[in-house]
Amino acid sequence: MGASGKLELRSVHKQYAVGRNMLQVLSGVSLDVGPGHFLSIVGPSGCGKSTLLRLVVGLDVDYGGDILLDGNRIAGPSLARGIVFQDHRLLPWLTLEQNIGLSLENSDWSARAKADAIREQITLVRLSGFEKVYPHQLSGGMAQRAAIARALINKPDILLLDEPLGALDAITRIRLQEELLRIWSVEGTTMILVTHDVDEAIFLSNEIVVMSSNPGSISKRFTVALSSPRDRASSGFIELKRQILAELHLYQQKTEAVEDCVDMAALI
Amino acid sequence: MSDLSVAACLVDTKEPAGKPDAVRDGSFDIGSITRRFGSPVGLILPSLIFALWQTAASYQWVEPVFLPAPRKVLEAFWLMLTKQDLFFDFLASMSIVGQAFVYGSAAGIGLGTAAGLSRKFEQFLGMTVDTIRHIPGIAWLPLIVLWLGIGAPAKILVIAKSVFFPLFLNTLQGIRSVEKNYIELGQVLLLTRRQMVRKVILPSAMPNIMVSLRYSAGLSWALVVVAEGLSGLEGLGFLIFRAQGLLLTDQLLVCMIIIGIIGFSIDRQMYALQCRILRWQQGFKG
Repeated sequence: MGASGKLELRSVHKQYAVGRNMLQVLSGVSLDVGPGHFLSIVGPSGCGKSTLLRLVVGLDVDYGGDILLDGNRIAGPSLARGIVFQDHRLLPWLTLEQNIGLSLENSDWSARAKADAIREQITLVRLSGFEKVYPHQLSGGMAQRAAIARALINKPDILLLDEPLGALDAITRIRLQEELLRIWSVEGTTMILVTHDVDEAIFLSNEIVVMSSNPGSISKRFTVALSSPRDRASSGFIELKRQILAELHLYQQKTEAVEDCVDMAALI
Repeated sequence: MSDLSVAACLVDTKEPAGKPDAVRDGSFDIGSITRRFGSPVGLILPSLIFALWQTAASYQWVEPVFLPAPRKVLEAFWLMLTKQDLFFDFLASMSIVGQAFVYGSAAGIGLGTAAGLSRKFEQFLGMTVDTIRHIPGIAWLPLIVLWLGIGAPAKILVIAKSVFFPLFLNTLQGIRSVEKNYIELGQVLLLTRRQMVRKVILPSAMPNIMVSLRYSAGLSWALVVVAEGLSGLEGLGFLIFRAQGLLLTDQLLVCMIIIGIIGFSIDRQMYALQCRILRWQQGFKG
């Protein structure tokens, strides 16, 4: 696999018809993701970052510009591109192992090879012992780990993560971030993560792209030069977070923030 | 009197057939009731009714010819079982219901799936199905009896027709309400059309299908009694109407009780099947 998983976006455009008007969702998005990289996309709601992932996964092929994976234009879904959605999207009528096995429906592997692969994936995401369990019996974090296993079992060149941890509680989210890092180091898959959470982006990625909305476009690209494993409380971490938040127009000067606190205190 | 009870039965069974939603809601309630019926609490009310019956008979509140004592009914049951062909009549009814249920539901699920998957096919069937649906099964019976005679085939056809529609409509509705997210997942995993139907669409429609299967099982059992009462010379329905004509109230009650108990056990078995097939579902357990 090593060299595969290089993703190139060349001035990608996307528009939807809303009534009589055309709504520009993405405009001139160009981006290179090297093989084995971990790239995060952060941006406000409605900046088109999920739309971008849908284009890359191939669910929507009606776009302008080019999206190339290892030089080939994307023209539909492929097993070389896995995706994990925000909702785990496990089929409620299939057990955990059947859900993961759904990815292998079309593989020409023997039943035995399939069973081995499923077991291996379940071990990788640490769900051994839950093979015969139905999704409603799993916690949110476990279900999301199963969804990751389902996406990884085909050994995709690239794994797309559409806010996969967005619906989880803070503690589970931190655990799963560490889990994702571990899986990434084991599998070496190219990862693209869409997230709202700047901490999550810095903790996980080599590179972070900030998007702005109306129309969705890339406003700035950051390289994360921190040593791993990353310390969420280190000064480098916090400095980068400050820059990214400023790019998102979410960062206030400290003095203003203090005044706000005082105002709040007065109100209380 | 007999006309009245037939009419009441028709109204009872016909109405929900056209409304899948009503079937669903009704069945949900029945579900929670039958679940409780399993506990001894469920036996209280039948015991009270039995006691009331016994008392009414002992004190002759009602003339014995209209309400025979429980003992008399038991004796009639024994007589019908040993000296007459009660068991044979029971089998005749069961065989009609069984065949009608299998044919009707297979056709309903098959065509419902086809219509669910293809809007063109649904439009092609739409007018015909919706028109035929509104002619009650019992209204078809006279014509079909002229064609097929008073034997089992006519009744099987009429009951199968009544089983067909709830299944057709619920299967169609179930397929149409498959979550788009799941279809999208199937596309990402490159499932073929066939795999999509087998692994995603049909399982997703299964709760709807199971509810209507259970409903139609009960419906077909009720209808066989009416159909046998209207035509033919065998079956529990025939016995009931014959008993009424001959004023054999004890035999009439025997048939009614058997019909009730069999209907009850059909429903319980369908419910058990439903729980087994839908064991992946996490529902409100009351």
